Amino acid sequence: MKDKFIVVTNNPLVLNELGAGHNTVYREISYEEILKEIRDLIHKGHKLLSHPLSGSVKPKETPYKSVLISSECGKLDVYSLKLIEQAIEACDKFEDKSSKFSKQVWEDFQLVDFELIKGAIASTAYI
Amino acid sequence: MSKIKVVHYINQFFANIGGEEKADYPVTLRKGEVVGPGMAFASSFGDEAEIIATIVCGDSYFNENIDKTKAEILSLVKDLSPDVFVAGPAFNAGRYGVACATLAAAVQEELGIPSVTGMYEENPGADMFKDKVYIISTKNNAAGMRDAVKKIVPLALKLAKGEKIGASIEEGYMPGGRRVNFFEEKRGSERAVEMLIKKLEDEKFITEFPMPDFDRVEPNPAVLDLAHTKVALVTSGGIVPKGNPDHIESSSASHYGEYDITGVDDLTESTYETAHGGYDPVYANEDADRVLPVDVLRDMEREGVIGSLHNKFYTTTGNGTAVASAKAFAAEFAAKLTEDGVGAVILTST
Amino acid sequence: MRLEMGHIYIKDIQFSEKSKIEDGTLYVSKEDLKEVAIEDEKLKSVSFDIARPGESVRITPVKDVIEPRVKVSGNGGVFPGVISKVDTVGSGRTYALKGMAVVTAGKIVGFQEGIIDMSGPGADYTPFSKLCNLVMVCEPADDIKPHDYEAAVRFAGFRIAAYIGELARQTTPNDIKVYETCTFKEGLEKYPGLPRVAYVQMLQSQGLLHDTYVYGVDAKKILPTILSPTETMDGAIVSGNCVSACDKNPTYVHQNNPVVEDLFAQHGKKLNFVCQIITNENVYLADKMRSSDWTAKLCKMLDLDGVIVSQEGFGNPDTDLIMNCKKIEAEGIKTVIITDEYAGRDGKSQSLADADAAADAVVTGGNANEVIILPKMEKVIGTLDYVTKIAGASEDTLHEDGSLEVELQVITGATNETGFNKLSAR
Repeated sequence: MKDKFIVVTNNPLVLNELGAGHNTVYREISYEEILKEIRDLIHKGHKLLSHPLSGSVKPKETPYKSVLISSECGKLDVYSLKLIEQAIEACDKFEDKSSKFSKQVWEDFQLVDFELIKGAIASTAYI
Repeated sequence: MSKIKVVHYINQFFANIGGEEKADYPVTLRKGEVVGPGMAFASSFGDEAEIIATIVCGDSYFNENIDKTKAEILSLVKDLSPDVFVAGPAFNAGRYGVACATLAAAVQEELGIPSVTGMYEENPGADMFKDKVYIISTKNNAAGMRDAVKKIVPLALKLAKGEKIGASIEEGYMPGGRRVNFFEEKRGSERAVEMLIKKLEDEKFITEFPMPDFDRVEPNPAVLDLAHTKVALVTSGGIVPKGNPDHIESSSASHYGEYDITGVDDLTESTYETAHGGYDPVYANEDADRVLPVDVLRDMEREGVIGSLHNKFYTTTGNGTAVASAKAFAAEFAAKLTEDGVGAVILTST
Repeated sequence: MRLEMGHIYIKDIQFSEKSKIEDGTLYVSKEDLKEVAIEDEKLKSVSFDIARPGESVRITPVKDVIEPRVKVSGNGGVFPGVISKVDTVGSGRTYALKGMAVVTAGKIVGFQEGIIDMSGPGADYTPFSKLCNLVMVCEPADDIKPHDYEAAVRFAGFRIAAYIGELARQTTPNDIKVYETCTFKEGLEKYPGLPRVAYVQMLQSQGLLHDTYVYGVDAKKILPTILSPTETMDGAIVSGNCVSACDKNPTYVHQNNPVVEDLFAQHGKKLNFVCQIITNENVYLADKMRSSDWTAKLCKMLDLDGVIVSQEGFGNPDTDLIMNCKKIEAEGIKTVIITDEYAGRDGKSQSLADADAAADAVVTGGNANEVIILPKMEKVIGTLDYVTKIAGASEDTLHEDGSLEVELQVITGATNETGFNKLSAR
């Protein structure tokens, strides 16, 4: 069965763990850029399924972000657009700190992001 | 320690020169003089600060030559080199408020001298500058002078000394879009319970975080039969018959104009102009149709695209006009438009 | 439900041979504590320390803060579904050790945040600087996954708190306060003229390190439900949350939820405190819709006149907060929300990631991005290794004199969204 969702991510752990079984858009770009990528997909008619500011780790503190969007591409969903634009706007409030962390910390960031998206995917079992 | 040096700006009215008839009073420097409300400031400053000079300028003089007057006053203030610049308070006097706020912001930004002014929250100067300079919120008339001085003085002293400025609610200035932390007397949960009780009892309460302005207007449904609809033109671009017969202000308009265009096919350089002071008027004065497209609508009328062009248009200057005033103007002429059977309005700005 | 809360005031904590409470002093044996804490094989070692108000001490990275309690009569035990069996709590008698807390610290992930300064300017911002803290720094067994480490530290903290609480079982409390809620019908009969008010508490439930447990159940799997506020007071809700130090709710905040306390203070006077409704803050948007729909539905079915909604965390929960507020207001129920702000260092950015005109009554816990300088402390409990990297910290975090320039968001509890503090913003 084809998934109802696409995972859009810049997190290599998510790609490794979920890439084989799910539709995945993987880009090696920044937190803010991945949000913009998602925004563009929303403009094409995909809907947001998970919150773009998931996790209390602040934007740009963690470099990683994974978001679920609908596979189905229909009319522009204005609510999705509002959420993603608010999320992009929120990025400006935080300083980019992701480069200051060691590799070990990056792995922690990857793990937390992965766990959060896994939780969201578990919820896709329901309509 | 030497006293903090203050330069004070006031208009012709508060300098006891005269009212509207003296509003063209030019910039005058009164070195070493304490004038009008300056007395109240001086007594409140006590030994801590002194007004070293008062600058007086008529409201029309300032607003009609903003750039020139601003430059002139900035150069005076620069030479005086005070520790803090105080303008007003202007209460609800629109042009005075714009002058005070313009100058306070300019002195602060261009000369790096901390500044403060005060006015009523609906004064157009407040909306224009509260995000750029501290504007103390005052009553709407000079009866609030004492109260205004009581708030302006401590803030002026703090600014002069470079001390940390507290939150708007502590200092009395208008929130200018900059959130500042402070400690309340009660914890948040207790404030929430109190707020809820007030809300339940339909009493007035003040939210601690006003949501962003949601003054959105739902678009009307599309006009289905334009060919049988009377269309009117309305503008905030200040287009008026040549000579501006109703003296619509170039900024902070206090009224709007209603003009008959029966038989007018084209707005020409000799018949119409703009009263607007917020944009380069050359192109609008050359051909006012560029702002208020009477010519094109007459064509459409002839071609049958629209039913007819309404024989009156409504106009004001949007520049610095308080939102509350603009709403009131529109409410009034919208009723007239409806009464005249207008089915659609084209609203042009600049 | 009727709950009697007995307060035992603890003025000091001392290490000693034997664990006991005497004349307002808690004596604890490190050996006893270690035994209780290390029960879990996922922890290699635990060290204990004491931090008192006014001392030049910095605790970091803080995971949880817990108030020791013991259930002396009535159903259930402390932390039901977690430490004790899942019996429904909230009635009978419970003793709480006031003025102290168990603080768990340990680097669970590399970006672990949370500072408690016991003195200096930072102390003004964290409510936990006013408590006498028994701090436990937990070192994990080798090669342990962050999930397991988090759970191990969480449970170790509860076990220690329960162990200490147990020492108070035979103590006579300094004072006893009675909290009583009515059933639906009783409330209508007893307070016919008073507005019916509930507290809607949003629980952090986004996933790993962002979890809250209700009677042991992971809150992201709950549907919004009703609690007697006395259940919350009795430890029904515990924290599994390690991130967002400034606006997460440590277990201590759940146990002493200020909205619950302050609504009780007006119960029977200005309002009828009907119940507490708990809901979650999941990342999946459909979950948010369902939970906010249910929350509004419960409010309506309870014939409420007013509610207070509290939030936990940043960003994603802003959406839940606004959804809840909008839907509850749409039912004609007057709503006040409590949040905090991320308005940027200069305070000029948009504070919330979502907004709606229905949210016309907002209480704020302040701007979490505001910068503060924390002077060097003589003693650090935990590790400063990560302070330079914690949320809100920047390149200039560590000044030459050892002071830290940080955003308030790193300070535990600084901008709490249950209204625990006096900090606000305008």
